[in-house]
Amino acid sequence: MIRRPLRPLARVLSARARGENPDAIERENRRLRHEAMRDNARSQAELRLLVLGVCFISAFVLIGAQMATLARSPAEEPRASAPGADILATRADVVDRHGRVLATNLATRALYAHPDEMIDPVRTAAELARIFPDMDQAQLLADFTGDRRFLWLRRTLSPEQVQAVHDIGEPGLNFAPREMRLYPNGALAAHVLGGTQFGREGVSAAEVVGTAGVERTFDASLRDPAGGGRPLTLSIDLTVQAATETILGAGMRMMNARAASAVIMDAHTGEIVAMASLPDFDPNSRPAPPTQGSPADSPIFNHALQGVYELGSTFKVLTIAQALELGLVNPSTIIDTRGPMTWGRFRIRDFRNYGPELSVTDIIVKSSNIGTARIAGLIGIDRQQDFLRTLGFFEPTPVEMAESARARPILPQRWSEISMLTISYGHGLSASPVHLAAAYAGLVNGGTRVTPTILRRDRPEQGERIVSEATSAMIRAMLREAVVHGTATMADVPGYAVGGKTGTADKVRATGGYYDDKVMATFAGVFPAHDPRYVFVLSLDEPEETTGVEPRRTAGWTVAPVAGELVRQVAPLLGVRPTFEPGAIESGAPDRLTLTRN
Amino acid sequence: MRGTYLEYQVRTVPTGLSKILHVNWPLALAIAAVTAVGILQLTSVAGGSFGRWAEPQAIRLGVGLLGMLIVALVPIWFWRNMAAVAYVTALLMLVAVEVAGSIGMGAQRWLDLGFIRIQPSELMKVALVMALAAYYDWLDPERTSRPVWVILPLLLIGVPVLLILMQPHLGTAVLTVLIGVTVMFLAGVSIWYFAAAALIGGGTVASVFLTRGTPWQLLHDYQYRRIDTFLDPAADPLGAGYNIIQAKIALGSGGWAGKGFMQGTQSRLNFLPEKHTDFIFTTLGEEFGLVGGLSLLLLYALILFFCIASALQMRDRFSALLVLGIAATLFYNLVINLAMVMGLAPVVGLPLPFLSYGGSNLLVLLLAFGLVQSAHVHRPRSRA
Repeated sequence: MIRRPLRPLARVLSARARGENPDAIERENRRLRHEAMRDNARSQAELRLLVLGVCFISAFVLIGAQMATLARSPAEEPRASAPGADILATRADVVDRHGRVLATNLATRALYAHPDEMIDPVRTAAELARIFPDMDQAQLLADFTGDRRFLWLRRTLSPEQVQAVHDIGEPGLNFAPREMRLYPNGALAAHVLGGTQFGREGVSAAEVVGTAGVERTFDASLRDPAGGGRPLTLSIDLTVQAATETILGAGMRMMNARAASAVIMDAHTGEIVAMASLPDFDPNSRPAPPTQGSPADSPIFNHALQGVYELGSTFKVLTIAQALELGLVNPSTIIDTRGPMTWGRFRIRDFRNYGPELSVTDIIVKSSNIGTARIAGLIGIDRQQDFLRTLGFFEPTPVEMAESARARPILPQRWSEISMLTISYGHGLSASPVHLAAAYAGLVNGGTRVTPTILRRDRPEQGERIVSEATSAMIRAMLREAVVHGTATMADVPGYAVGGKTGTADKVRATGGYYDDKVMATFAGVFPAHDPRYVFVLSLDEPEETTGVEPRRTAGWTVAPVAGELVRQVAPLLGVRPTFEPGAIESGAPDRLTLTRN
Repeated sequence: MRGTYLEYQVRTVPTGLSKILHVNWPLALAIAAVTAVGILQLTSVAGGSFGRWAEPQAIRLGVGLLGMLIVALVPIWFWRNMAAVAYVTALLMLVAVEVAGSIGMGAQRWLDLGFIRIQPSELMKVALVMALAAYYDWLDPERTSRPVWVILPLLLIGVPVLLILMQPHLGTAVLTVLIGVTVMFLAGVSIWYFAAAALIGGGTVASVFLTRGTPWQLLHDYQYRRIDTFLDPAADPLGAGYNIIQAKIALGSGGWAGKGFMQGTQSRLNFLPEKHTDFIFTTLGEEFGLVGGLSLLLLYALILFFCIASALQMRDRFSALLVLGIAATLFYNLVINLAMVMGLAPVVGLPLPFLSYGGSNLLVLLLAFGLVQSAHVHRPRSRA
């Protein structure tokens, strides 16, 4: 600050000249200057205070305006209490390939209590114990009179129960809306659907979370509100599935099997139209996973998808197909089948002696291990591996179900020449029935690979070529021959030209080696053989056919008749018409001309 | 001018119990009215139970009002001389909380003295106002804007703010900064400092956000996301957003005149976890509507008006800055809380002054207004 001179000499001098006291003038000057300073500071302070006041007022105006805006906003009832206000209970339906409902939602209520709002806890506890016999009255009373302010009593209530609880008239009891997952068909397609459970639960809604099957795989998209409730369409055909489960159940009981599975797949698209596994369960109350014992013994285990087994002689078809494709043999090539065949200290035997030599077709028809092993010897390890990899036996199936990824095929640790020979007829490599069905579909449909799926495909899939059309036709003829004259005659159904291959694999002991009285009997087939529409794989676990003198366990006696019955029932449902086989009239084979059998 | 005011005070200031007559009664009545609303509202929130929250609050209110009166009767120049002591005490308590916090667990804001639990950050706000007012009272006005003498009050503000941030309590830290800066502004620190600070602050914020998404962005992506959630609670409907949504619904359902006392659904049902503390205004808005909300706002405005009117009569910088600083404390606290409740500001966890349940905040505020009253009682009168 530049100070003005306190004592301007000129003024002092002129004052003196006028005879005034310069000191008084100076005091006066100083006083004026101080007052000016103070006024200046004060006006500045007041200006600042004004700025602050304007801030205050504008903030108040802003808040008042917001208050008015909110007060004018439409009155809205408060929503649920803090946790779970955002829970979206929506979950899309699951339907079969024709739009029939497999899984849907049912509006129901959950029951909860606010003990501090209860009027008569004693009576309430007594009434609740009467309505729900499994509730403990003493425990309820302890909960209601304790210091808990909130408790859940029941997850889902039937309408009758809601009414009964309502009639108690207790204001401390409240209902929470729930969307319950409902499987109206009960156990039908249980393993495909899997199941759900409640996730986060709030007073206004509860999440339904998929725990297995397609419910788990598609959990996110089923719950995605952006989906607009568009149902998930599966490839399953509900009627076919029902028939399959019925026949499989009957077959399992008749053949005294522990478990059974069936897969029916569209040979061209890879769509699974039926997938059944027995024993099954009701997904409306899905059992908990077993805590002890083998998971495969639980009803929630999906034998068709999760179960990996040595599939036995059904694999021979794969070996022969590769040999045909490579041009190593043709269907009438004669193969040496003298047994036993020895490889090092390992011996390969046939079920019975089929004579010194068989044609390639007869190797399939009679199911000769030795013949198949000799052909595998022509193919070699590397080519066998490549072919099986192409068919999908090295990876879990891509089926869109939570369980498929965990069902990884079991390959030999070291793919030795012995492995090569045993795998050629289905031992030493374990895979699931779905693997086998997909491989058969690819071989018989004209030779293009299919990707198995549980979702409906809107158009056929053109996969990579596995074998030529000609090889595919030869395979179909052999499969048909095996049913007409071979091990699977019981699977024949007039008019549907079933083709197929049986497989009877001794079950592997947990301690190593094989059981000699426990088998896994499998039938892998196609119908109609001359115009392949569907392939199917049936398995019975430890079957025993007991009508004979001795129990019979081979697939021809156990699975083949079930397979025949399955085709008989399912083919009409699938819209496959009974037809004459081409060439049957010329060949004059009378058994191929009947469309009915008495 | 230093020391001069003792001269005129002695001549014109009332003495003895006659001081009670000279208390700023309009201000005291406005405060009493707001606190009475608080007691009513706490009764309503507890579902009509007086004992749950209202009774302990009423007891604290009685103690606080008595404390306010005692503080009011003590000469303001005594409080000026105590400013440094108050500041250092509050600072030590903040440090103590920090130490205790490292031993205890979670965010530690309380200091348990056995008979009362004190939140030192509340105390600090008032102590800071006192310290800054005393500082500017002591400082030669001509030096107010010299850099050295600007840095000193900045340190006075900065040290406690850092300690509060370490608790961590962002809301109170921001509030403390605002209060301190406001006192500095009123004390006449050159406007260019504020302009420069605003420029630097704004530039920092702008550069942080403008560089987002570019290769040279200043923060990590997750840090940006955190800022997003903080600024837009609706993005986090389970956490911060939940209270806001419920509060908006409550205010909306209150409408023009409200649902009536004790008729709010918020109090019957537990829709709001913080209904008796930070979010108490929502229940008031629901039960008394826009009319009730604006009336409360008016009461607060009256308190602020009386403070400013009183400050205009002060002749010394300590009294004036103290009164205005405490008014600013009330104002910022109030505005941030209301803006937060109504979804205009992020949820930072500040109580509504005089209304929210909680002893520390109420007691400190009442004592602070005791200082305002003291300044009013001991203000210079005209010499007539």
